[in-house]
Amino acid sequence: MNELLLITFSPLVAGVLAWLVRIRGVRESLGILGAIVPLAFLIKLYPSLDHPIRATISLGGFELGFSMSHLNWVFSMIAAVVGLSAVFGMASTAKDSYEWLFSLMSLTGALGIFMAQDLVTFFIFWEVMTFSSFMMVLKFNRAASLKYLILSIIGAYSMLVAIGIIYAKTGTFTFADISAFFRKEAMLAMLGGKSTFSRFDMALIYLLFLMAFGVKAGMFPLHVWAPDAYSETDQSYTAIFSGVLSKTGVYGFILLYVLMYGKLLIDLGQFKGTPLFGYIIAFLGGLTIIIGGVLAALQEDIRKLFAYSSISQVGYILVGLGIGTSLGIEAAIYHAISHALFKGLFFLVVATIIYRTGKTEFKDFGGLAEKMPFTFAMAFIAILSLAGIPPLVGFASKWLIFEAVISQKLPILGGMLFFGSAIGFVYLIRFTYAVWFGQRPSDIEDTKDAPLPLAIGMGILGTLNVVFGVAPGLVAKELNAIFGNPVIGGNIWELDLGFGRYNALLVAIWLVIGVLIAAILYFLGASTRKVPVTDTYQSGNPVTMEYNLTIRRNFFLPLKETMAFWLRISFDKLYKDTWKAIEDFAETARNYIYNGNVQAYAWYLAIILLILAAMGV
Amino acid sequence: MISAYYFGAISLVLIGLYAVLVKKNLLKILIGLSIMETGVNLLLISIGYVSGRSAPILSEGITPSQAVDPIPQALVLTAIVIGVATTAMALSVAIILYEKYRTLNIEEIRRLRG
Repeated sequence: MNELLLITFSPLVAGVLAWLVRIRGVRESLGILGAIVPLAFLIKLYPSLDHPIRATISLGGFELGFSMSHLNWVFSMIAAVVGLSAVFGMASTAKDSYEWLFSLMSLTGALGIFMAQDLVTFFIFWEVMTFSSFMMVLKFNRAASLKYLILSIIGAYSMLVAIGIIYAKTGTFTFADISAFFRKEAMLAMLGGKSTFSRFDMALIYLLFLMAFGVKAGMFPLHVWAPDAYSETDQSYTAIFSGVLSKTGVYGFILLYVLMYGKLLIDLGQFKGTPLFGYIIAFLGGLTIIIGGVLAALQEDIRKLFAYSSISQVGYILVGLGIGTSLGIEAAIYHAISHALFKGLFFLVVATIIYRTGKTEFKDFGGLAEKMPFTFAMAFIAILSLAGIPPLVGFASKWLIFEAVISQKLPILGGMLFFGSAIGFVYLIRFTYAVWFGQRPSDIEDTKDAPLPLAIGMGILGTLNVVFGVAPGLVAKELNAIFGNPVIGGNIWELDLGFGRYNALLVAIWLVIGVLIAAILYFLGASTRKVPVTDTYQSGNPVTMEYNLTIRRNFFLPLKETMAFWLRISFDKLYKDTWKAIEDFAETARNYIYNGNVQAYAWYLAIILLILAAMGV
Repeated sequence: MISAYYFGAISLVLIGLYAVLVKKNLLKILIGLSIMETGVNLLLISIGYVSGRSAPILSEGITPSQAVDPIPQALVLTAIVIGVATTAMALSVAIILYEKYRTLNIEEIRRLRG
């Protein structure tokens, strides 16, 4: 048995077994085993990556091809690591075998996508992933799952049409052949020769793929499914959903570069020294950052907050990708890794909080840090990492994206990135304070810390957040291996771009020293005094109950009121209205045509006969 | 020049169709259906007609080469029976409709049905 097939299918097999066995304990061990196997084999395969490893299976006349090179390995590792942590989390939170089956199946889907080497395999695993994640959401919330399914299906059919166009003109599904074909096309176009794909074809293929991958990545304006789907499912599973499945869209965009970069560049032209098609992705990514961030700040439910924040963070990846320089793409992949690590950690933290307290809204929380010290430590790592505080992994990747944007001199995108980081602090400060500090409501007085499996899951991701943060060179070395040349210089502790450098170890050492000094000062005799929460926020002024903005209730209401006009413009509402209009139209047409009058039907028949006679049938 | 048989048969079909499309009385529609059916049967028969030949019954002095096409006749025989059966069925439905609604105007019936 080939290793690649083992990696891809072992979660699925484990899921099916777990579904059949239904014995508590056995089921959980099977699931965890199914998630460990891919990780173990991926690590084992690492030394032999320089010669791509291949595997094929034939299925109904199609050869499904898998291959593994550095790029596939990096993304598969994201899936395997986050998948394993999430599966550990699920050992605590999953309620029945149904969840085990479909969450492991979606892991298989993601691994298959990352290792596919032809469009058919890619599409089949894409659909496996969509189906299983739909089934997961369906169990918790029907409306959210339908919204997800409809948008996914629109994306999937767009992709299918694009694949069809490519196959009709090239006659092959294999990535290597397609890529070679488009390279030849680009050369022909440059020399002024006649090419198989017209400019219109390329624009169409690009738009169709943009739609397909944009839906999965949660790109504006196709992000509307994500807040509902991420929040309305098992939160441990959301770690896979947001950490891994959203990366399949990102991987799709990278595939667009791999397959048809030159041809798209020539046919669609450039904008400010950046390929236009990339700039569109980057600009939509920038809008995603802003909109996801602002909406995250206005949420009252932690699950929703992180769902929007996840959308916002994927926006960074799209910006990095869209710039299209090798630095930009490396930065984007780096951020894909760090997003998977910190967002997976966040959702496991949320899963723990919900598992232990059963509450989801900010107004019910407070002062949990004393009761759940381990979970708090993990949450703190995730907060620092998402906000981009050195020396955690989030800083290294965001810094690379900023440098990539700035070095290309793109002020609008840069502004969007900076705004996104600012708004990131805005919503994180609320999560930090409202959940962990302040006064504890009496009904969560006896909350315990995370159960062991969840703690293991969080521990894996938390450790990696710190390790890759302090030693960013580990990731950068692997990313350079994808391109085959050192784009990001420096050693294991330091990133060096030529025009800027970041030494994570130094920062970490200074940070530790600073924390030590602060701790010494604190213990030497800082005098503390307890104050009621309300006093800190209203400066002693009496407030009326209807405008009582504590950090737990309507904290950003003023922001909401300021932006009321913009918030009314929502794509979610637009889609709903469109949907309603289609339904109304269909209803009217149905009433008008199927009016139940026999004579009307006889008229239709007569008219059709007349038309047929006129056509000479 | 189109043959008079075809012209007559198609005219009958069209007259029947007119009755079905325009008339409001159920019985008139059924009459229209019957007329259409007659027209169709006549059309089928006239398709099989070969000028100057006799009926397709093998008897003294008549060989297959001297008979008209027998297949349309067999078809029409079947069609007539079917036509009678559907007409009888439709008429019984009309009786039931009249007993229920006390009218045979199809628009009235639609209105009463709600």
